[in-house]
Amino acid sequence: MLILKDLVKNFGSFTAVNKINLEIRSGELYGFLGPNGAGKTTTIKMITGLLSPTSGKIFLDGIDVWQKPVESKFKIGYIPDQPFLYDKLTGREFLLFSGGLYNLSSIHLKNRIDELIELLRIGSWIDKRTEEYSQGMRQRITIASAFLHDPELIVVDEPMIGLDPQSAFIVKKFFVDKVKNGTTIFMSTHSLNVVEEICTQVGIINKGTIIFDDKLETLSRLKHDRNNNLEELFIQLTNEDETDTSHI
Amino acid sequence: MKQILHIFKYKLLIFIRLNTKIDFQSLLKNIGSSIIYISFAVGAFWFAQKFINFLLVEIKIGRFLLHEFISIVLFIFFLSVNVGNIIVSYSTLYKSAEAGFLFTKPVKPSNVFAIKFLDNFFYSSSTLLLMLISLLAGYASYFKLSASSFLYLLLFNFFPFIFSAGSLGVIVLLVIIKLAEKFGVKRIIYGVAAIYLATVFFFFKINSPKNLVQSVMNLYPLIDKDKYLAEFISPLIKLLPNNWLSETAFWISQNNMANTVLPTIMQITLSLALFLLAFQLGKQWYFDTWLKNIKFSAANSDNRKTSTNLFSFQSILLNEKKQILQPQTDSLIKKDFHLFIREPAQIIHFLVLFFLILIFVSSVSGIKYVGLGNFYLQTGIYLAVFLFNLLLVSTLSLRFIFPLISLEGLTFWKIRSAPVENKNLVKLKLITFGGVIFLIGIILNYFANHRFVFIVEIMSLVVISFAVVTIIAINFGMGGLFVNFKEKNAIRLSSSQGASIAFLFNIIYMLFIVVLLFDPMSNYFLAIMIRKNFHLFRLLYPVIPIAIVSTLLIIIFIRAGMNSFKKDFL
Repeated sequence: MLILKDLVKNFGSFTAVNKINLEIRSGELYGFLGPNGAGKTTTIKMITGLLSPTSGKIFLDGIDVWQKPVESKFKIGYIPDQPFLYDKLTGREFLLFSGGLYNLSSIHLKNRIDELIELLRIGSWIDKRTEEYSQGMRQRITIASAFLHDPELIVVDEPMIGLDPQSAFIVKKFFVDKVKNGTTIFMSTHSLNVVEEICTQVGIINKGTIIFDDKLETLSRLKHDRNNNLEELFIQLTNEDETDTSHI
Repeated sequence: MKQILHIFKYKLLIFIRLNTKIDFQSLLKNIGSSIIYISFAVGAFWFAQKFINFLLVEIKIGRFLLHEFISIVLFIFFLSVNVGNIIVSYSTLYKSAEAGFLFTKPVKPSNVFAIKFLDNFFYSSSTLLLMLISLLAGYASYFKLSASSFLYLLLFNFFPFIFSAGSLGVIVLLVIIKLAEKFGVKRIIYGVAAIYLATVFFFFKINSPKNLVQSVMNLYPLIDKDKYLAEFISPLIKLLPNNWLSETAFWISQNNMANTVLPTIMQITLSLALFLLAFQLGKQWYFDTWLKNIKFSAANSDNRKTSTNLFSFQSILLNEKKQILQPQTDSLIKKDFHLFIREPAQIIHFLVLFFLILIFVSSVSGIKYVGLGNFYLQTGIYLAVFLFNLLLVSTLSLRFIFPLISLEGLTFWKIRSAPVENKNLVKLKLITFGGVIFLIGIILNYFANHRFVFIVEIMSLVVISFAVVTIIAINFGMGGLFVNFKEKNAIRLSSSQGASIAFLFNIIYMLFIVVLLFDPMSNYFLAIMIRKNFHLFRLLYPVIPIAIVSTLLIIIFIRAGMNSFKKDFL
């Protein structure tokens, strides 16, 4: 489904992402973990077309994302970490605008919006301008906008920021249901609980390099072997030198 | 005071750090900007000298009329700075997140007001100031003023004049918000707008340039046109600061410093009085009006209909029968349209400029070129009208085209991550916003040229078409080169460093056109005057170099704008 091949991103002399290789299969909910500044958002922005890779390739269903950006973007839904919205548009207008960008027909779009309003429970404030929204409201509108065109791949950067427990529960359930229906989700998060709860595959990035990429069960086994909880294991892994982690 | 200085220390630190980024790209940008600024300053200096020489030596209007014309220009300038400062002050005093932050700290509201009031000066256009000082220097050089006279004119007359306009803007803003609670926001804004319109109307009614010229010319050669003919100035006009400034300039040009004392004292007194009044009102009303403004915004939000029928997303996008365009095109156009009409600053500025356009159209459509007796004067007036037309187009482009890419803001992630072709996005933005400006340019040109023969109309139409598209392209490209997604305020974007450089490019390009048109147009007016045969097709000669240079500029600047869409979106 999604292949990252020798992906590198330099900002001047600083290497944010260093030759990473990943393969995410269809129907996976991939948890992308890493400490602050590890290169998670940079990787996500390269997948979604916001940052151009210094070198390496990104393939989505065999299509080179940077060779055929328009074609590949039809297949992706993106939920950024900072849900910036147009302040002067209402939530519904933002969804109509977003759907239009994917050339969705009016009737289809209307039905999709109604469906997502119901699923994400955003009906009570959807017709207010987004300048009046809380962070959580913005996040839910952004999530709805990413699912409008029923993409094959959803790329999520920190989905739980600003969500109250009820909203977080709704979003998690929504993601799990989507994955069950065949959608692939690539999700960066700080929340180890969320990873344990809903992810099927986990990748850990540290200082721009992938230090772990396997099934969640493997991580759980490792946790058990080292007699740690996931938080302790994560801190241990991300503090270890690359040479020390090569055996993992 | 200690608190204000403390806050200023950190504001200065931020300002310095923002402007001292050292890398190759910014170094190159700064060197380029400096070269352009210097050449422009030299150009404005030279232009002022030549233009004054043209008016005094070629057309022989006399020093009195020259300074009365300067007075009229200064009046328009005063109002522009004043209205501009009302809009900018609203943004700095009432919309800034910094003010909200400072109110959560133990900072006196009067100190917050002082800080935000002085903030306005950071947003004032440095280019405009540079241009005015260069023009003033050109004026001083023409009349061979000493350095001390120039500084006297600049520091004790010109700066207080601008300061008065700015302070008055803040006073008007405070009064608007204070009274809005009692009478309603809309009613007060309409009332203030009506007062401004009436002021402009009565100023030109009392001080008609046409009547003034006729009064002076009727008595010529019985009177000395270089004498200060105070009796021709209405007593009401004598009370205005623009008149004090032009009067001071007149006496300085005559080397009569004694007569400058009174208008200078009046200028400084008014400036201090308005500044102190603004400060006093701010001290008493700022926090109260800040809270009121929040209340108005909340009430406005509650009363707002969720959608309007006209152009609404729901009524059009969800109705297949009405959907003529592709959903993507439709979405992008409607998004821009809604964001534009829902941003009060955009609408107010557009209306102010539209008002200026109407004044311009009504003024130029009545100009009679025949019978002025001097073909240089006819050419001068024709080209001045042409230049003013381009200047309006340039102002509109700077205000509405330059910020186009930056105004996509941090929300641009949505379009950048969606399957939207950059080419289509550029095309749409230029067709919608550029189309309106193009239409305005054509209308202005029609009214300026409709009294001429067909070939002049055609020539001007072709030239104006190339010029408007080029000016739009320059502003679009420069807006892309100096893109700033973090700045939401279109006014601040239009007065940024990049916008200043774009404006300088516009001016250079406009002068290039005027220089090319000078020869054929003066020959044309000469031929009419002496009833000599003139091959009208000679008027089309300048069209070729204009077309070539314009096409090249359009390609270069559109590409520059498009490249900004490919940059990393951090």
